[in-house]
Amino acid sequence: MDSAAINPEDRPTKIDVKSLTKRFGDLLVLNDISFNVAQGEFLAIVGPTGCGKTTFLNCLSKLMPTSAGDIFVDGEVADPKKHNISFVFQEPTCLPWRTVRRNVAYGMEIKRYPKEKINQRVDYMLDLVGLTDTQDLYPNQVSASMVQRITVARAFAMDPDLLLMDEPYGQLDIKLRYYLEDELIKLWQTLKSTVIFVTHNIEEAVYVAERVLVLSNKPTKIKAEVKVDLPRPRKLIDPEFVALRKQVTDLIQWW
Amino acid sequence: MAEKVEAIQGLKSQDRSIADEVQQAVREKKPLTIRRIITNEYFLNIVSMIAFLLVWHYAAASGAFSGALCTPWQVVEQFRNLMTDTLAGLTIWGHIWASTQRIFIGFVLASLVAIPLGLFMALNPYVDAIVKPVFDIFKPMPPIAWISIAILWFGIGEPSKIFIIVIGTFVPCLLNAYNGIRLIDPEMYDVIKVLGGRRRNEIIQVSFPASFPAIFAGLQISLSSAWTCVLAAELVASRSGLGFIIVQGMKISDTSMVIGGMIIIAIVAWLTSLLVMGLEKLLCPWKRGIGDL
Repeated sequence: MDSAAINPEDRPTKIDVKSLTKRFGDLLVLNDISFNVAQGEFLAIVGPTGCGKTTFLNCLSKLMPTSAGDIFVDGEVADPKKHNISFVFQEPTCLPWRTVRRNVAYGMEIKRYPKEKINQRVDYMLDLVGLTDTQDLYPNQVSASMVQRITVARAFAMDPDLLLMDEPYGQLDIKLRYYLEDELIKLWQTLKSTVIFVTHNIEEAVYVAERVLVLSNKPTKIKAEVKVDLPRPRKLIDPEFVALRKQVTDLIQWW
Repeated sequence: MAEKVEAIQGLKSQDRSIADEVQQAVREKKPLTIRRIITNEYFLNIVSMIAFLLVWHYAAASGAFSGALCTPWQVVEQFRNLMTDTLAGLTIWGHIWASTQRIFIGFVLASLVAIPLGLFMALNPYVDAIVKPVFDIFKPMPPIAWISIAILWFGIGEPSKIFIIVIGTFVPCLLNAYNGIRLIDPEMYDVIKVLGGRRRNEIIQVSFPASFPAIFAGLQISLSSAWTCVLAAELVASRSGLGFIIVQGMKISDTSMVIGGMIIIAIVAWLTSLLVMGLEKLLCPWKRGIGDL
């Protein structure tokens, strides 16, 4: 809880996005987006469907070159080879030929962490997300929620500088989503990672994040910033929660 | 929110028991009734086999095929003879081995060249651009069309038969290895790219393992193509092999020998495909289903 207790403004800046712009030919998708993310902050980004959320994430993760502007990690231009950037994709991206355990270890293997450190870290992560019993199974032998839990564990395991999540729970039913959201918050509080969580589910954004950025329609800009200063665990029927949710919803409807 | 908490608490135990429940449902015992016996899968399998043999027997006994069809029993007798008597110096085991050996050599030679080449083509656009046009010329040619040229080049000995098998197995091996890599979900690579991985990581960690199932599917197709090819080659010119037995039977008008040869081919081809399947299970353990837990 300690990192969440300090105001995000008082923490040092971890990620600095400076006038990020992306064009596809004449089509301007991302229009001069700038914002900061503090060390260990949980930031949610919401926006109307088709506002360029995926393009936005692809630029942030450096999968796609930007047309102008850049992303800085600790003051340096972000580089996947140097920085630890983790990505939890919308579709579960477990490797079917690796066991649960080796899927969690995957990111660290690519980053060439020493074997002992990987093993230690994997044991710790498996325990945190409750996959220790199923570690020797293959992804097609575990349930859908577990598969997404594997990719989340893999992303957190690398102790990332920046963890990007693209609607990771969009395809799960509401019961599992609630459960995994709580688990995600627990992981974030324990491991103190810097997270950018993209979703179109407003309730989800207000439930998990410390701060919500609302995107406009294309060409996408940041329309508003909403601080969510509610104690955890948050309650979906708390009047303050409802008010914040309504505030964000109104922002999205007003374009 | 009590509901939510309850739901969450219920989840953990539910997750683990899904597989057990499925297994239990399958294994649950029901009382034995006539209806259950009649609708039993294995019972119906046996009924269908017996019916088939009876129809065959009566068709043969009635002389409807003007004596050119033997009864099932005659085929069994023929098996017994072939096991002890020799045909062109070999018992039935010798002939089975002759065909299988050809298949094995041709199959291994073709897959050793075709699979790496297919992988290379899929991974490197330059290799693809160079090999593809030539390959596309040969692709639609039925392998049996090569028999004449094979005999002119290599004579009627072993090399010409192995050549035909190589030709017949090469195309499906290459195509499946190629498509196996081409059809990989690009997000599998994105995971590595985001992590700053190199091209080498992508190939070793994703491309190769992801193409395994497709390669094995190609090997199965190749295998049945190999049996077609070896038979065609043996039917044309040979002194050994299962195709030779069939030709021999035809020459002396002994249908039991022809049909016997056909049945043995079916059995041996099935056994070799089991072998490839077993190899796949060994090399692709992740393809196990929930039932194998």
